[in-house]
Amino acid sequence: MQEKIIFKKEIPKLVKELTKEYVFYAPKNVKGNIEYKRVNNSKDIELEFLNSKVPPKEIVFPRMETMFTYTRNGKNIEIQKPKKVEDKNIIFGIRPCDAHSFVLLEHFFNFGEFKDDLFLNKRKNTILMGIGCNTPRNTCFCTSLEGHPFKKDDMDIFMVDLDDRYVVSPISDTGKEIIEGLSWLVDAKEEDLEKAIELSKKAESMISTTLEIQDSYDFLDSQFSDPIWKEISETCMGCGSCSFLCPTCTCFDVIDEEDQYNNRGRRMRIWDTCQFCLYSLHTSGHNPRDSSIERCRNRILHKFSYYPTNYNLIGCVGCGRCIQLCPVNNDLRVILKKLNEIQKKEEKTIVA
Amino acid sequence: MLDLYIPMLTNIKSITSENKVNDIKTFEFVFQNDDDLKNFNYVPGQFAELSIIGKGECPIGIASSPTEEGSVKFTIKKMGTVTSQFHKSEVGDVVGIRGPLGNGWPVEDMKGKDIVVIGGGFAFSTLRSLTEYILHKDNRDKYGKLTVIYGNRDSGETLYKFDLEKWEKRDDIELVLTIDREEEGWTKKVGFVAPVVKEVSPSSKNAIAVVCGPPIMIKTTIAVLEELEFGDEQILNSLEMRMKCGVGKCGRCNIGNKYVCLDGPVFSLAELKKLPNEY
Amino acid sequence: MVDIKNENQKIEEKMRNVARDLLKEKKVDLIIGYSEGTLPLASAPVFIRDEQEVNKLVWNNSCYVNLAKYLIPNIRENINGEFVDLKVGIISKGCVARSIIHLLVEHQINKENIIIIGINCNGILDRRRIEKDIGAHEITETEVSGDYLIVKGNKFEKKFKFEDYMNELCKHCKIRAPPISDSLKDNIVGECQEVDSLEDPFEDIIDFEKKSADEKWAFMNEVLKDCTRCYACREACPLCYCNLCFVDQNLPTWFGKTSEISDILIFHMVRGLHLAGRCVECGACSSVCPMGIDLSLINRKINQIVKDRFDFVSGLSLEKLSPMMTYKMNDKQEFMLEEN
Repeated sequence: MQEKIIFKKEIPKLVKELTKEYVFYAPKNVKGNIEYKRVNNSKDIELEFLNSKVPPKEIVFPRMETMFTYTRNGKNIEIQKPKKVEDKNIIFGIRPCDAHSFVLLEHFFNFGEFKDDLFLNKRKNTILMGIGCNTPRNTCFCTSLEGHPFKKDDMDIFMVDLDDRYVVSPISDTGKEIIEGLSWLVDAKEEDLEKAIELSKKAESMISTTLEIQDSYDFLDSQFSDPIWKEISETCMGCGSCSFLCPTCTCFDVIDEEDQYNNRGRRMRIWDTCQFCLYSLHTSGHNPRDSSIERCRNRILHKFSYYPTNYNLIGCVGCGRCIQLCPVNNDLRVILKKLNEIQKKEEKTIVA
Repeated sequence: MLDLYIPMLTNIKSITSENKVNDIKTFEFVFQNDDDLKNFNYVPGQFAELSIIGKGECPIGIASSPTEEGSVKFTIKKMGTVTSQFHKSEVGDVVGIRGPLGNGWPVEDMKGKDIVVIGGGFAFSTLRSLTEYILHKDNRDKYGKLTVIYGNRDSGETLYKFDLEKWEKRDDIELVLTIDREEEGWTKKVGFVAPVVKEVSPSSKNAIAVVCGPPIMIKTTIAVLEELEFGDEQILNSLEMRMKCGVGKCGRCNIGNKYVCLDGPVFSLAELKKLPNEY
Repeated sequence: MVDIKNENQKIEEKMRNVARDLLKEKKVDLIIGYSEGTLPLASAPVFIRDEQEVNKLVWNNSCYVNLAKYLIPNIRENINGEFVDLKVGIISKGCVARSIIHLLVEHQINKENIIIIGINCNGILDRRRIEKDIGAHEITETEVSGDYLIVKGNKFEKKFKFEDYMNELCKHCKIRAPPISDSLKDNIVGECQEVDSLEDPFEDIIDFEKKSADEKWAFMNEVLKDCTRCYACREACPLCYCNLCFVDQNLPTWFGKTSEISDILIFHMVRGLHLAGRCVECGACSSVCPMGIDLSLINRKINQIVKDRFDFVSGLSLEKLSPMMTYKMNDKQEFMLEEN
């Protein structure tokens, strides 16, 4: 299907039409932080942004979610399943790294015998209408993970910002349907497409961080207890910043809440992180991951070793949020370089 | 399982105190819905997430054998929020069950082999399930020699006294009970589980050893089994971990790339040796 | 005119010399300080064990972590099969030293194991505010010129006046170097200052005070709404050292853990109350918050109440107990008395 053009001054019209059928999420400036929020008025959209602070995973995997509600009647309990979500969402302005994170999230929640419908129903009903990154950040390293600032495969509609207009490429069938529905869009010209290609090459050259990341890190016991893990985790405070604001982290806690005065309650799931000491604490008091060394190591290996072993995908998209937001400046790029050192030590031993 | 996170409702049919200090009780649950009972097809060694709705959920190994129809039994020790609430419950109370979960003991692969069941303390519940399963008339001839070694701190702590009495009377099971220290009136063995296993000296030829208990007991017992020439593939363990979802989605029960709730809780020693030492 | 760059260089030099000497003379096993961050306007805490590495220590106006946080649990190392408490030298701005003094008052650390390496802090920049101000640009380098911070990036450059863009708390700070007292003179090297008493007009909360109760409630709701419950604020605070935080308790469960505004408010208000008379106003909690929430308002207001009722400021002396740890017969207790 032919690429189209949306002029930025037509965005209000676009929003008005799409909000008829879809819940429209777009980047919004919330007290200085860019966040993907539900938007009804195009004035609220912030089009000049690098990336959001909270990743758009929040839309399909919210910070807190009801698993079920229940009511009491004497000794009896009646459980009400959560209503199946019928809303169809569009996430406008999602970046290629975050769009790829949706692939990873879906893979995880769909894997195996058990399907997490709470997530999958929302994901099925969510359309990604993303924008390529004209100015990647210093902390971006999507290209080291088979990503690209202009990667469009994981989106439904992909757009390129040409200053006063967007080049719009429908990618998936759903994307094509939507674009066809916006019959007032004009066709893109040859020079628009050329400009888009130019911007793509420029963006790629701007990525300053290149890391050698293996397909999977498999460690022997000796590397698992290498002293470098202590170095890596020494200043880690054990907060949740890296996990909560990571587009691929999915761990959650389950809590029951009771409203005794009204004989009802609910079971909820909320974001959790392996960095909290409580995460793996047994009731007996035993904690397999008792110190920050084990916890930091678990998070890094989970993304770069366990996840690839289980799903053949690396569990990181290179968005750089963890680097930006870590309170003690624990830099994943530095850590990955150290991981490679550990790996090389193993190779040297084997050759010897 | 139909709904991943929605518990099936059951009522407590009976509560049996299992030990002298009364902090371990066996609960028998009856499903409110007959279809739920029909769909609850489990294998010894599996567990379920039991909910006290409004308080929380905890993963407990299934103590009853699938051959005991009509209800399911779980043995619960009073340890934390949810388990304490269980101990305050009465017959008739509503309890939620999500399950069966986990991989269970590999009862199909164990067919035709000699089974050595070794348990210590309160961890015996899924071993009871396994033993009852093997002893059932439909299954007994499919397995070889059955040896059960069960150790406890003292006679008061020994669980399932009613079942143990029945088993002792049978001649198709060698039951060895032991307690840690001499006790008045105790005529059976005295000593920790590992030296007793050494004494009993089960043959490792075509045998599977199933070991459950506190970490120190597992460590010493495995050392003895290795002396008796049990291979890593012949020793099975059931692990415990903090769990929330029980279906491999919340992330916390991982050891390396394996989830104890999905790929476990039963692991062979060979599998454990490949995993990082974080459990 | 102030020359921040020059000031910083002098602070850095003095700090490195002291640290080097302490390691050389084996007066400490470990130095905890700040090192150059991998991002502009960031710094990374660093543990130094070798005098050769002392040049890793830096002082820039992005040293926002309160290093006293690393003192609990006690830093121990396995030396020849035995666990030994290490002697630690800590690079201390005034507020960091105050937290150490307070931890000593609360018997959480041993005096013999601490050496406070005092520096004269010249303020911490409000990094989140600068980032919010420059919007959709990335800072690739920074430069200090006179009393201005110049940030540069891809096709942009902007100047920020230091005194305007410092942390709110730093603007009102009067204890920039560790407070010295007789009982501490063996534990402090480097810069320090004598503090007899502290006058604090609490100008920064005057606007907040003027609001009505409803307005205050609405304001706090708005400020705290974005909290993700990551607990970076709690982890960054040296005085939040409880083994089991009240939010994590479940026998009984006191409060909810969700990110609903009622749960968020309860967490921050109760934590604020737990820090009453203890918070040393270092600003680490606000600096580490990934959402850029200014948490200092709650703590400042509570500290004002403590100052007003008990004439107490935390972290100044080893001898004075915090009001929440003791009582006097003439303490105001109108809340216990009946209406008339």
